[in-house]
This record gives sequence, structure tokens and C-alpha cells, in this order.
Amino acid sequence: MSERIEFLCSGFGGQGVIRTGQIAGQAAVEAGLHTSMLISHGTETRGGYVRSQVIISDDPIASPVVEHPNYFLALSQAAWDRFGGLCQPFSCVLHNPEKVAIPENADVQKFAIQAEQEAARRFGDPLFANTLWVGIFSALLGPLITEAHFEKVIRMRTTRNIEENVAAFYHGRALFESRWRSYKP
Amino acid sequence: MKRIFETGNAAICEGAILAGCRLFAGYPITPATEIAENMSRRLPEEDGFYLQAEDEIAALHICNGASLGGLKAMTATSGPGYILFADAFGWALSSEIPVVIVNSQRVGPVSGITGAPGQGEFYLSRYLAHGGNYETIVLAPASVQEAFLLTVRAFYLAERFRTPVTILADQMVTDGWETLLLPETAEDIEEMDLIFYDRQVHPGPDFYPPTDDIDIPPVVLGHNTGGACSDWTPTLKGHDTEDIELHHQHAWRLIHKILNHRELIDDAEEWEVDDAEIILVAYGTPSRVVKSAVSEGRLQGLRIGGIRLISLWPFQDKLFQRKASYLVVELNWDGQLVREVERAARANSVHFWGRCGELPTVKELLLTTQQILEGKTISREAWKTVRWSHV
Repeated sequence: MSERIEFLCSGFGGQGVIRTGQIAGQAAVEAGLHTSMLISHGTETRGGYVRSQVIISDDPIASPVVEHPNYFLALSQAAWDRFGGLCQPFSCVLHNPEKVAIPENADVQKFAIQAEQEAARRFGDPLFANTLWVGIFSALLGPLITEAHFEKVIRMRTTRNIEENVAAFYHGRALFESRWRSYKP
Repeated sequence: MKRIFETGNAAICEGAILAGCRLFAGYPITPATEIAENMSRRLPEEDGFYLQAEDEIAALHICNGASLGGLKAMTATSGPGYILFADAFGWALSSEIPVVIVNSQRVGPVSGITGAPGQGEFYLSRYLAHGGNYETIVLAPASVQEAFLLTVRAFYLAERFRTPVTILADQMVTDGWETLLLPETAEDIEEMDLIFYDRQVHPGPDFYPPTDDIDIPPVVLGHNTGGACSDWTPTLKGHDTEDIELHHQHAWRLIHKILNHRELIDDAEEWEVDDAEIILVAYGTPSRVVKSAVSEGRLQGLRIGGIRLISLWPFQDKLFQRKASYLVVELNWDGQLVREVERAARANSVHFWGRCGELPTVKELLLTTQQILEGKTISREAWKTVRWSHV
């Protein structure tokens, strides 16, 4: 890898912003890569603003700051409004268009899925949207971190409904395959 | 070597336990709560003690008591709790009690903002005790791995110097997650250059000799002739005294045991400083952005260098004697480290880039660097601009 990968995840407290970052970061560690993750949050994490900034690299990481995210999972409108400006034409923005509106003319790669609705329909609870997003993120990353690494970490980092979370992860990968198979970064 | 993905908070706990810490007393506070939480789980596994104190004042006093009882002890907090350590910190300094204190700096003043980083206690870490007449040791980790390494070192220095040692971290180091290597074998420990110093017991009766020597064992109550240990100026044997000559000797020892053994304390990293026209200076997490800015700036042809302070106090004046401009990068708006750099750098021009709660970006630092090199005023919104000093 000649460059570092920046992954930004932001939303409200309780949405799983930190957990999602942990899964991405730890999967990278499992794959033998260097990882750092900064987390920022308010006093009342539940309902407040939360952000995780994950850097993945072959080399030891100097700056842990996401300046131009390669991947941005925007879990709330406030997240996009606040950090959308960091995005570049190469940035892949993952969002639920029902909740997070991204302007037509925003020069980014948009990956829109009604993740909560999909998770509720498929697994009976919108909470599984996050692992579904992790699946899409992992598919976008390509072979750098394998699905086995992700699955191992999901099993380690989730304490309840482990099988449903693993299934949601693979469902995310399947959705990516069916919709964006031809996508070239 | 065990390779895991962990927080700085967990790394500090593992470093402490490896260094022999067997008592932790603390009061939970974001972003250092997980240190207490981890220690409450980890210490019983190591036959150690975890105490949740009623407040931070009690927490450090409990650690002092434990250390006087022969245990290596640690406490941890953030800004609003750190100020409450003042009293017990003074006791530990004056009575020469080895203890380790962690402060994860968040946004201030006072309670400020919990889950965002600040660097507002640079001077407080030097002057936490009232009354002056002392030097103190402060270490500043910039990563999860370094939080582990410097915690081991803090315990080592605390024992050898018979003094409290402060780890001045920030929210991003303690709350942040990173690849962490933990030693599993003696070879791993050697590879990581980890050094330890076991608790010794002073045989008495001359507990407070008027010397700058280190490696004098501390008082361990009940294990020897029962040296007294109070917050008053001690006699040679540790009794309270109002004798000003004895006070001179005591103050001289507290200052010079540290200043005369700086080779064991001083630590910094320098990047591309030899031909640099401008040197960026930082400690803690912002120093990592500085490192990236130096690499990026060099690619752009700028003669830019960087200094990362690993030990903060005693201050390393010698690092700032190059003929260059200095740009000090801090997570505060009022400028703290910059004052010390300006004092040390004397005739050189010293500038300040500060912001609290958010790290700088490489882009921002390079823009400011360029402006300083071109002799321009730093172009930031008025309330964000500090032209610290003579250009």
C-alpha cells in the first residue's frame, strides 16, 4: 500500500459510531496493518454528537487525523453537514438517503442504501444497519482486509445477537455485489 | 509479543501492572474513567488493590499511603480532578513518596468539554503544588504504545528519584484506539528496552539526607525505624522542623536530585531539524500531525523541521538553541508551551498555533508555516490569531 486509508464515521450517540470504528480498526490489526482511531464525543454520549476517525496503513501512523476521508459513513444529517466539506471526489460516502440528504451536486462517490429499513425487514431490527454498513465498507475496501478478518472481529466485538450481526455483515457485502459490482475506486 | 487493538487507557494499566503497580485509587472522570475501570478488573488478578475513592483528593492521598506502606501506586484523572490532587501531590513531593499520576487533558477551563482533547495543564503539571522549591518530572505520551512505555518509565523514575511522576496525556491518547504491542516474554521486554526498579526499603534513620543523590530508598512505614512523614519540612530523620537551614537543604535536594540527573529524564524526538528554517514544536497527539506536516512540507521543498517533547519537565532548553523560527502547536488558545519555548529560544522568533478540542490538520500547519517563512501575518480569523512574539 502506497497511501494511507482514512475512514470517518459520525452520527449521534447510541448509533454505534464507536463500535463501527472499533470493528474497522481491529479488522485492520487482524490483517497485520497499522491502525489508529480517535474518538470524540460529548458529555452525554447517548443522543450527542460522536465521531470516530480511523486510519489504516502499512506504515506506522503519524497524524491520526482524517483530513480527506476515503470512506465516510454519515449516520446523521449533522454528521454530513459538519464533515462533508472534508470529502474529495474520491471519497466514498455511505448514507441512508431517508435520513441523510447529500446534495445532488456534491462531488463524491455516493453509496446510498436504506440500511435501517433493510435491517429491520431482513433481521427484525434497524440496529443491525451498522454491521450491514460494515459489510458494504469491507466490500469497498477490497482484499486488503478479508471478510474472515471482519467476521472474526464482529464475533469478538458484539456481545448480543452475534449470528444476526454476522449475517447482516454478509448481507451488506451481498448488497454491494448486487448494486455496485462494477464500481472501481 | 502480543499484538492487540486497544485504548491508551488500557495501555497505561498494562504498563503500570508490568512495572509492579499493585494499588490504584481513583475517582472516575472522562476521559480517564477506563483506567479505573480496567484497574478494578486487572489488579485483583495480580493480587493488587483497587479502591474507588470518594474524590480525587482522597485518591492521591490513598496512593501516598499505599506507597508509604511499600506498594507501588498510581492514580488517574482529567483536568477537573487533577486540580484536586494539589494537596496530596505536595505531600508526595516533599515527603519524597514514589507515586505515578496520570492526567488525560481535556477541554478546559474547569469542566469544559469531556470527550475532546486539550492541553491546558502544561504549567499546572509543573506547579501543581503550592510553595515552590521543587522540580518535578512530567512525561507526555503521543500514542497508545507510548502510553504503555512511558507508564513503565514513570514507575522506574518515581522509584529512583523518590518522587511523584506525572504522565501528561490528552483525551486522544487515552480514549484513542491503536495497535498495541505488549511483551509476553523476557526477550520481548528486552526488545522493548523496558527497565524496572523494585521498591527498596530505607533502613533509616537518616531518611532525608542533604544530597542530590538518587537511588535512596523511600520511607516505608513499619518496615524500619519508623521515619516520620508529614507535610512539614523534615529533619534528617523525618521529624517536623521550623529550622530554615534544614529547609534550605531540603529544597536544594528536591530541586537538584532532579536537575543533576537529567540524563535519566530528558527525552525528545527531532525530525529534519539540521537545516530547518522553521521548526514546529509540540507534545502529545498534536506532535503526530507535526510529524506528518514535516514529511509533507519537505516533499513540497520547505525547510521545515519538528521537535516532539517526550519529557516536558524539567524543560529541555537545549533543544531550542538552533538559529531558526519556531512554531509551537498546542491544543489550547492561550499558549502555554509557547511561553517556555520563547524563554528557551531567546533571540529566535517564536510563533504560536493553538486550538482546543480539535487537532490541527497538516494543511493548516503548512499554510501557517508558509506564511511565517514569507514574513506574512498568520492569516486566521481574528479571534483565532495569536502573533505570539517578534517575527
